Amino acid sequence: MAKWGMVIDLEKCTGCQACTTACSMENSRLPGEHWQDVIFYNEGEHPSAQMKWFPRPCMHCENPSCVAVCPTRATYKAEDGQVLVDWERCIGCKYCMIACPYGVRFYTEEKPAYGGPDAKRVFAADDGHSWSPPWKGPAEDWKHGVGVQPSDVVSKCTFCYHRVAKAPKGTADLDPQNPALREFTPACVVTCPPGARMFGDLSNPNSEIAKAIGNKNGVRLLDQLGNKPQVYYLTGEGGAVPANRSLPPKKA
Amino acid sequence: MRNKTEPQTLGELLAASVALAKDPSAAGRWFLGSMAVLAASFAFVLYQLVAVGHASFNTSSDGVNWGMAISTYVFFALTSSGLTMIASLATVFGFKQFYPIAKRCIFLGIITLVAGFSVLALELGHPFRMLWTIPTGMQVMSPMFWMGVFYAIDLVLLIIKFWLMLKGDWDSPLSHQVGNAGFVAAILASGMLGLVFGSMAMRPMWYGSFASIYFILTAALSGAAAIIVTTYMAYDFDRKQMPAELKTLASSNQFTKVFAALIGITLVMIVTRFWTGLWSNMDGLEGFNMLLRDPLFHVEIWVGLVLPFFMMLSPNSGLNKTSQLVAAFLVLGAMFINRYEFVIGGQLVPMFKGNWTNSLIAYTPSAIEWALTVLGVAMALACYAYGEKVFDLSSTPSGKAAEPSGAVRAAG
Ligand code: SF4
Ligand code: SF4
Repeated sequence: MAKWGMVIDLEKCTGCQACTTACSMENSRLPGEHWQDVIFYNEGEHPSAQMKWFPRPCMHCENPSCVAVCPTRATYKAEDGQVLVDWERCIGCKYCMIACPYGVRFYTEEKPAYGGPDAKRVFAADDGHSWSPPWKGPAEDWKHGVGVQPSDVVSKCTFCYHRVAKAPKGTADLDPQNPALREFTPACVVTCPPGARMFGDLSNPNSEIAKAIGNKNGVRLLDQLGNKPQVYYLTGEGGAVPANRSLPPKKA
Repeated sequence: MRNKTEPQTLGELLAASVALAKDPSAAGRWFLGSMAVLAASFAFVLYQLVAVGHASFNTSSDGVNWGMAISTYVFFALTSSGLTMIASLATVFGFKQFYPIAKRCIFLGIITLVAGFSVLALELGHPFRMLWTIPTGMQVMSPMFWMGVFYAIDLVLLIIKFWLMLKGDWDSPLSHQVGNAGFVAAILASGMLGLVFGSMAMRPMWYGSFASIYFILTAALSGAAAIIVTTYMAYDFDRKQMPAELKTLASSNQFTKVFAALIGITLVMIVTRFWTGLWSNMDGLEGFNMLLRDPLFHVEIWVGLVLPFFMMLSPNSGLNKTSQLVAAFLVLGAMFINRYEFVIGGQLVPMFKGNWTNSLIAYTPSAIEWALTVLGVAMALACYAYGEKVFDLSSTPSGKAAEPSGAVRAAG
C-alpha cells in the first residue's frame, strides 16, 4: 500500500498559480472553485507589512476529520491514502466542509464565486452532470469524485486519483521529469514551472519526498489540530507556514 | 379515561383536518391561515430549488457553510427536546401539579420536531439519498449520525407516548417506561446535537463538551417558553377559561420558578461563553467580538432574557398572566436569535483562507432561507391549531379537562 503525499518547497514557489490553472483544466472545475489554490495574504502592519502567498491543495490528512464526520461515508480514505468523495453517496449536508480545518472543500451548488455570468447556466448540462464545461477531461469516476460532478454534492482535490491510481505498483516517486511516470503524476506537480512540488510514497523511506521531509525539515499546516496532513512544506530560508488563520490581531 | 371525541385512526385524523378547515370558527380560520402561509412558503421554496437550485442560499464554500436553515432546525429540534423535558416533570419525575401541561408538551414536541426535520430536509442537497446512505454507511464516528439516531428514536417514543395518552393510558408500566425512555432520548438527542458543533476542534467558538450541556439546558428554556405561550393561546389568552387544574398551575408560582431558574441558567451560560470568548487570545475566537457588536445579541440578552428574568422573579408580576405571556414570547424570540448567533457565529472566523476572506465573514440570509424559517413556523402553528381543536390537550389522568373554548381564537 502506498501512502501518497506531496511536498511543496516554499523557497521555490513563485505564486504563479500555474498549479491552480492546471488543476482547473485537468479536473473541469468551475471558475473560482479552486481545488488547488495559492492564497495571498498580508502579514504584519506598516511599515513592516509583507505580502505572502501559500499554495494549498487538500492535505489528504492521515486523520481526516472530514471522513470522521461524514454521516454517510461518502467521504472516505482510499487504500493508497487519498481522501475521496463518492458523489453517489453524498447527501450535501456540508458537515465535512464545517470539519475540514483547511477550507478546501466545495459545495457544487453555489452562486458564482466571481461576478459575471454563471458558468453553470452558460454551459448547462442536459444529463446528470451539474454543468457541461467545454474543456471536459476524459476521466470520469463519480465513485472517486473524479470528473464533472452531479448537483448538490461536495467536491475536493483527489490528488489526481485518475492519474495516480494507474501508476505502477511500488513506485516510490512520481517524478514528472521521468517520461515514463509523467502521465501518472498529479497535474499541479507536472505543471509547476520552478519544480516546487514533489509527489511520492511517504511510507517508502527511500522515496525522494520522504528524504526531503527528513533532510529539509518538512512541516505541516496547522499541525496542532491533529489532522496530520500528507502534504508537507519546506520552508527553507524566508518561507513560512502560517500558524493561524491570517486574521489581523484583536483590537483591545 | 378515553376521550370518545378524539380521533383514533388515521382516517379519522384526516377527516378531522378537513372538518377543521371547513370550520367557520376562529380556530378554523387560524388553521386555514397558517396552512396558507405554509403552502405559500413551501411553493416559494420549491420554486427556488427547481429554478435556481441550492445556489439560492446565501451560504458559500469559503464563508458560512451552514446558514439560517440550520439554525432554524436547531431552534425547533431543541424546543422539542425542551418540551419533552417539561412533560417529564410530571410523567417521569412525578410532580403531579405539572400534569395539566404534559399532554400538550408531548404533542408540541412531536410537531416542532417534524417542523425542524422538514426545514433540514429542504436544506440538504439530497434528502432522500440519506435514507439508504446513512444506514449502509454506519459511520459511528460522526456526531451527525448519532444525532439522527437519537432524534429518530425520540420522535418514535413521543408518538407512542402521545398515542398512549390518547387512549387514556397515563400510568401503566408501559406508559411510564415510554416516558422514561423518551426523556433519556431527548437528553441524548439534544446533547448529541450539541456535539455536532462541540466536536469541531477546528472551530473553537463551538469546541468543547460545553456545547452539549449548553444545548440541553437551553433546550429546557425554549420548551418552557413554548408551553407557556401555547397553553395561553389555547384559552384565548384568558386564564379564566382554563380548567381548574390548569388554572391552579398557571396562577401558582411553581412554573414561574422553574421558568425563572431556566432563564438564569441560560444567562449564566451565555455570559460565561462570551467571557471566555472575548478574554482569550486563542486563534479562531475573534468572532465573539463581532457578535458583541451585533445589536441582535443585545436584544437577545437584555430584552429577551434579563427583562423576563426579573419579571418572573418579582412575586407580583410573576403570577400575572400578561407578564408570564410577555416573558414567554420574549424568551422564545431570544432563543431563536440565540440559535442563529450560535450556528452562524461559529463560522465567522474563516477556516484557513486568504485572498478574498482575510477578515471575518459576513452573512445575511437569502429569501429562500427566510422562507424556510417561515415554513417551519407556519407548519408548527398549523399542526398546533389542528391538535388543539382535535385532541384534548389539557386532559390529565385525574379527569377530563374542560374543552378549550375557542382554540387559539385570539391569536387568529
Ligand atoms: S484537508 Fe480537509 S478535506 Fe482534505 S483530507 Fe484533510 S480534512 Fe479532509
Ligand atoms: S456533504 Fe457529503 S461528503 Fe460531506 S459530510 Fe455530508 S454526505 Fe459526507
